[in-house]
Amino acid sequence: MLGAYAQYWRINLLTMLEYRANFIMWFVFTIVYHGVALGALFVTMERFPSMNGWNFRDVFFLYALWMCGHELHNTLFFTVVSVPEYVREGRFDRFLVRPLDTLFQVLTVPQQIVPDGLILGIATLAVATHVVGVRVDWVFALFVPAIVFGGALIDLGISLAIATCSFWFVRVDTLRWVVMSLEQDFTRYPISIYGRGVQIVLAFVLPFAFMNYFPATYFLQKAEIGLHLNPAVGLLTPAIGLAWLGAAYAFWIFGLRHYQGTGS
Amino acid sequence: MRVYILRSLWTALYAQNVAPVGLQLHSMITYATVAMLMSLILEVDATRLIREKLREGTIATDLMKPISVPFYFFSDGLGQTALHALLVVPSLLCALLLVRIDVPSPTTFAVFLLAFVIGYGVNFFLNFLMNCIAFWTLETFAAQLIVRWASDLLSGQIIPLLFFPGIVGRLVFALPFAAIYSTPLLIYVGVIPPARWAIGIAVQMLWLVLFAALASVVWRAASNRVVIQGG
Repeated sequence: MLGAYAQYWRINLLTMLEYRANFIMWFVFTIVYHGVALGALFVTMERFPSMNGWNFRDVFFLYALWMCGHELHNTLFFTVVSVPEYVREGRFDRFLVRPLDTLFQVLTVPQQIVPDGLILGIATLAVATHVVGVRVDWVFALFVPAIVFGGALIDLGISLAIATCSFWFVRVDTLRWVVMSLEQDFTRYPISIYGRGVQIVLAFVLPFAFMNYFPATYFLQKAEIGLHLNPAVGLLTPAIGLAWLGAAYAFWIFGLRHYQGTGS
Repeated sequence: MRVYILRSLWTALYAQNVAPVGLQLHSMITYATVAMLMSLILEVDATRLIREKLREGTIATDLMKPISVPFYFFSDGLGQTALHALLVVPSLLCALLLVRIDVPSPTTFAVFLLAFVIGYGVNFFLNFLMNCIAFWTLETFAAQLIVRWASDLLSGQIIPLLFFPGIVGRLVFALPFAAIYSTPLLIYVGVIPPARWAIGIAVQMLWLVLFAALASVVWRAASNRVVIQGG
């Protein structure tokens, strides 16, 4: 299975090199998108230098951490997002009759994948790390990649849960849109600005806070003034990612067992 | 939900920093809430039809009909907008449960509505121009999203243009995007005082006329092109 997966990526890479103009276009696209978000943050924090003790550089680091995890998800696992479409068109049934694991097949649907966001995310994180002046020691070198990967797993868990919902509801575009925009808004600022209920949801129900807030709190050596947790919980992101993905996977398996198709 | 996020954000920011001159917290929350409600109407791409008709080729028959085609698109867009405007009502009620927004005097509100209508016009022509690119390239998705994102930032929808520092601040006010969100909103919250209403509206009108003129030039060139291609 691993061999097949490596082969899949080799083909993806070759396709990408074939369409260079497309690659550049997506790059510009991603730069403008994140540029607008960061630009808005910069201007705001120019006027209001402190957001619960975080300055622009801190928030920039927070953003970069989320961006890496999110874009890693978009690069490796984006095909999960198309599951509702397959279900609607009846193409999903094909995966079920083949002798390979269904999720593995979903993850290896041939698709034009451009890792522009990931490249840009890593570059942004490098710049942010430099600007914010975090000490890059072995903890940082060891944990940041793991945290980014954990963040991608949290994202994957959410995509998978939404995809599973489509087994029953067929159309889940709106649900997906709502969850995605909530993720974007709630990961942009330190969660300590929100009310207690929302903080608990972000930490333990939809664990977006583990994608960037808790790890950033730890690395920037800030006090966690929202839920008064030990900042070191930020290092748990990979475990949280695995646990959350495990739960989503269980839901997915449950959904598969009840899958009836749409008849199309 | 959006309103909740906005309120939390600005409350936190105002609590710990010196408030900038001319915009108190309650004005800021009003600004952000009204901007969000406006975006429900303004983000409807009323001229998407152009692109679709081009792809399907039905634009050729439309051009033959004895009607003004741009006006037809405008009417169609207006209909869609009206539908979305209905959606604003429940959103407004939800928003009012969460936050207190300032209610301006009837005169101010009337001027705000006028500015909003002009802003709608500018936005319409901007979208119209973007969709007209399809006459040349057929695909406008990328260009359109990039302009949309840039205009979100530069029109004052996300943050008031007042917050932009120094020279950049003067520059963003001089751009046409400011006519879409910024002018109506600043009239609403009272940053533009009654004495300067006329100037604000005049600048908006200037952009509206300019964009309309540009749109008509582009439209003429574009419809000639269709003829050349033989539809």
